[in-house]
Amino acid sequence: MTNFGPFWRTARQSPPPSALDARRASRTTLIVLLGPALVIYAAFMIYPVLRTFWNSVHVIKPHNVEAFVGLANFKELLGNDFIFWKAVGNTAIFAIVATIADVLGGLLLALALFSGAPFVRTLRLIWFTPVLMSYVVVGVIWVWIYDYDWGLANVILRSLGLGSLEQSWLGDPRTALWSVMVTHIWKWLGFNMIIFLAALYALPGDVLGAAELDNCGWFAKLVHIIIPMLRPTIVNLTVLSFIGKMMIFDLVWIMTGGGPLWSTETVSTYVYKRAFDWNTFDLGYPSAIAVLWFLIILAFIVALTRLLRQRDRLEF
Amino acid sequence: MATVAITALSKLYDGGGELAVKDLSLTVADGEFMVLLGPSGCGKSSVLRMIAGLEPITSGTVAIDGKVVNEVPAKDRDIAMVFQSYALYPHMDVFNNLAFGLRRRGIAASEIERRVQGAAAKLGLLPFLKRKPHALSGGQRQRVALGRAIVREPKVFLFDEPLSNLDAALRVSTRNELIRQQRELGITAIYVTHDQIEAMTMGHRICIMSKGEVVQIGKPLEVYRNPANTFVARFLGNPPMNLIPVTIQGDARSHQLRFGGTSLAARCWPAERLSRLDGKALLGIRPEDVYEASPRSGDERLVAITGASVVAVEPLGAETLVVLSLPGVSEEVIVRSGRESKLRPGEHATIQLDLGAAHLFDQATTEVIARIDVKREAGWPRTA
Amino acid sequence: MIAPAAKSPAHNWAAHLRRSPLLAFMLIYTVISGGPFLWVAVMSLRTTPEIFASPYALPSRVHWEKFVEAWTKSNYGTYFWNSTIVVVTAVALLTIIGAMVAHCLARYRFRGNRLVRFVILSGLILPPQLMILSLFQILLEYRLYNTLTGLIIVYVAGHLAITVYILEGFFAQIPQDLFDAARLDGYSDLEIFWRITLPIGVPALFTTVTLNFIILWNEFLYAVVLLTEDDKRTLPLGIMHFMGSHQLDVGMLATGLMIAIGPVILLYALFSETMIKGMTAGAVR
Repeated sequence: MTNFGPFWRTARQSPPPSALDARRASRTTLIVLLGPALVIYAAFMIYPVLRTFWNSVHVIKPHNVEAFVGLANFKELLGNDFIFWKAVGNTAIFAIVATIADVLGGLLLALALFSGAPFVRTLRLIWFTPVLMSYVVVGVIWVWIYDYDWGLANVILRSLGLGSLEQSWLGDPRTALWSVMVTHIWKWLGFNMIIFLAALYALPGDVLGAAELDNCGWFAKLVHIIIPMLRPTIVNLTVLSFIGKMMIFDLVWIMTGGGPLWSTETVSTYVYKRAFDWNTFDLGYPSAIAVLWFLIILAFIVALTRLLRQRDRLEF
Repeated sequence: MATVAITALSKLYDGGGELAVKDLSLTVADGEFMVLLGPSGCGKSSVLRMIAGLEPITSGTVAIDGKVVNEVPAKDRDIAMVFQSYALYPHMDVFNNLAFGLRRRGIAASEIERRVQGAAAKLGLLPFLKRKPHALSGGQRQRVALGRAIVREPKVFLFDEPLSNLDAALRVSTRNELIRQQRELGITAIYVTHDQIEAMTMGHRICIMSKGEVVQIGKPLEVYRNPANTFVARFLGNPPMNLIPVTIQGDARSHQLRFGGTSLAARCWPAERLSRLDGKALLGIRPEDVYEASPRSGDERLVAITGASVVAVEPLGAETLVVLSLPGVSEEVIVRSGRESKLRPGEHATIQLDLGAAHLFDQATTEVIARIDVKREAGWPRTA
Repeated sequence: MIAPAAKSPAHNWAAHLRRSPLLAFMLIYTVISGGPFLWVAVMSLRTTPEIFASPYALPSRVHWEKFVEAWTKSNYGTYFWNSTIVVVTAVALLTIIGAMVAHCLARYRFRGNRLVRFVILSGLILPPQLMILSLFQILLEYRLYNTLTGLIIVYVAGHLAITVYILEGFFAQIPQDLFDAARLDGYSDLEIFWRITLPIGVPALFTTVTLNFIILWNEFLYAVVLLTEDDKRTLPLGIMHFMGSHQLDVGMLATGLMIAIGPVILLYALFSETMIKGMTAGAVR
């Protein structure tokens, strides 16, 4: 199933090479096969990461104006930057609520298909389509759906006689974050559904059969058999989903650009704005945000893997 | 056509504390079919892989046709190998599986075609040349693997348990097929197996290995009849040789072997050797050398033992295996009896041991104690 | 759930009736997940005035010519070709470079094996935000800013980790015997990679190709930072740009969306199972 172990643990022991070993390759072979990847990686992955760390303790202005400022960026960030804290709060709400909704919703959809409904194949194909669409496509469609005048959301409310509930969904700071969240959940439910469905089909049939012989109703079966056996999948999807949402950028940027009044500002959109939209022309400060946020995400990954590895013996 | 000479070969795997192969020496003559036999983990596959050039040699040499090939890459050794898993290329059809090894060697297309067609005809694979391995049965796959070795016309064939993935019936027919092909082509072959029947039936000679070392090399029946130690005695033969712990009593001139209530004169073995045994030994006797008592009086080699109780009877159709418990002996004794055996569990029986076919092993070293050529001695051992 | 009487039609109906809330739920969710695309598809064939007159109506007249117009007048053609060039090149490079690395990691023991694995797979947990700012600087310095080449290289670097991760898992399962056999057959390491690993790895390569194709076709963050000129924009950027400048031209925007969705929908229709497998490959192994 989902592999959440620290990936380097899957490494094999690599003893010193000796001649004629069937598992040994010549130096030339290794250079040819690994060279391109390592060059690209060094130049466009490792170097940028290191440079971001370096940037985070500098002020970086255009035309190579750079000055070392120590931890000043971080102090400013943690002490005075209320937008950053607003963004952290929004991102946290987003990550927690949308993760729970994604996992529960995905499980629900998978169970619906697993219960022996008709047209399972067709339905799972349709339900999966939003996953394949870009955030831009999804974002534009949902901006229309949320449109005050002709958007589907308000049209439905009006037709149900609930016109008083109509909203400027993305324009009102009270509803904007939640509206974006609904869109995000809509896009990703199908993904979780497919993973759960695969896990459900992988459950040993005789256990479910035995439960049925024990006169287990479907609800008892769900609570006592299926969910405990799906636990590793649930836990893994939760982590995957949570970490993904900690970095959310595209959908927010497309639908609201972080507004109105920072009500949908996330850490990532704030980084982008500080770097390219505000006329501060300083790459150091947003780098500090990116570094800090990366460390927090890393801490989550480490903590969650530790926790999970103890609780569930996941397959590695 | 080639000889393979292995001298003082050892293998230490990275991270392994013990030698997987210890100081192994072995010479395979031109055209000979040599079987490496031993339980899993005895190092026989390591030997094969070192000969093939797939595994580096820790120490010692492998020579083909007198030329040491330790540092020669696998592809230049002119060796073909049949793998236990067959290792057929799943993305190529049978023709290309057979031809793959030839293309690299600068062989003309027409010659490749000729050799592949020839091998396929020989192995009955002509109808399947356009099939991919997944569309073949187990036996067909095995034949493709064999064919891939044959078309190469190599100096040496290496076989790594090539029959172990086949079902029993197919194994017998493929075994015969393989023997026939090897004998016809006359190509030197080294064959690794843990199956003693394959070893007995296929090899010109067999080399029995245990824990990385050679225990005994010889023609199959010689080894069967004269096992060098208890390991060989138990490993060859099914059911294995019975080993009965005995005590030895006597003086410098004559000794008795005692077990339970029985005492036998140990005239077949040299007295001075027996006196060095600390009074203990293992008497080995094959199930087919123990008879249900219908005393054939006059045959001095046969020793009757009374009071054996029948523990279990296993009628196998062609024969019946009888498991017996001898009075005062902790080890059970298995007797290979005729299909009409009347013995039933719980009964008591009298059995006869054919001492002429018995072996005596040193309990400490497990080595066999060489017999005196008893025919030259006066008289057979008799009950004391 | 006692349902041995399912053979009788009466019971069958009863069973369906009992499950009707479930079926209703599934029907509603199908409409929710598929409906918006249908709506956009319909709008893409209608003109903006028609849409504003009645947003949820079917086309009174099918305006196929909107696609031609979008392609020629609204720059969607340029965006589409930019996306195609970037994605096809990046996916091809990712596949071959990723397979080479995965082959090494799965097959060979060599000094530094663990380090290479650690370095490459660490890309799995590095958020793009951590690289994007300095990539902006670096591409400027390398004169790759605002070029498709720069974006392609960044895409390759960014998706190598997941590609290697998936491919290595598959390659490691190819039995060693096959490689030994090929070696005895006289083939060198590179030939073995080319003639054994790659052909046998086709299913896994297919998976990573679909995964990378979809993700890169939809990619937004790197593109928005690293491309600014209009004739360099990829489809997601182009749509964003169009939305910004022609916000009220809903009809043309819908046509643009359909152009962007088109290839994905086409592939989905042909290879739905592969695409599902590809998209979920990182999570299920």
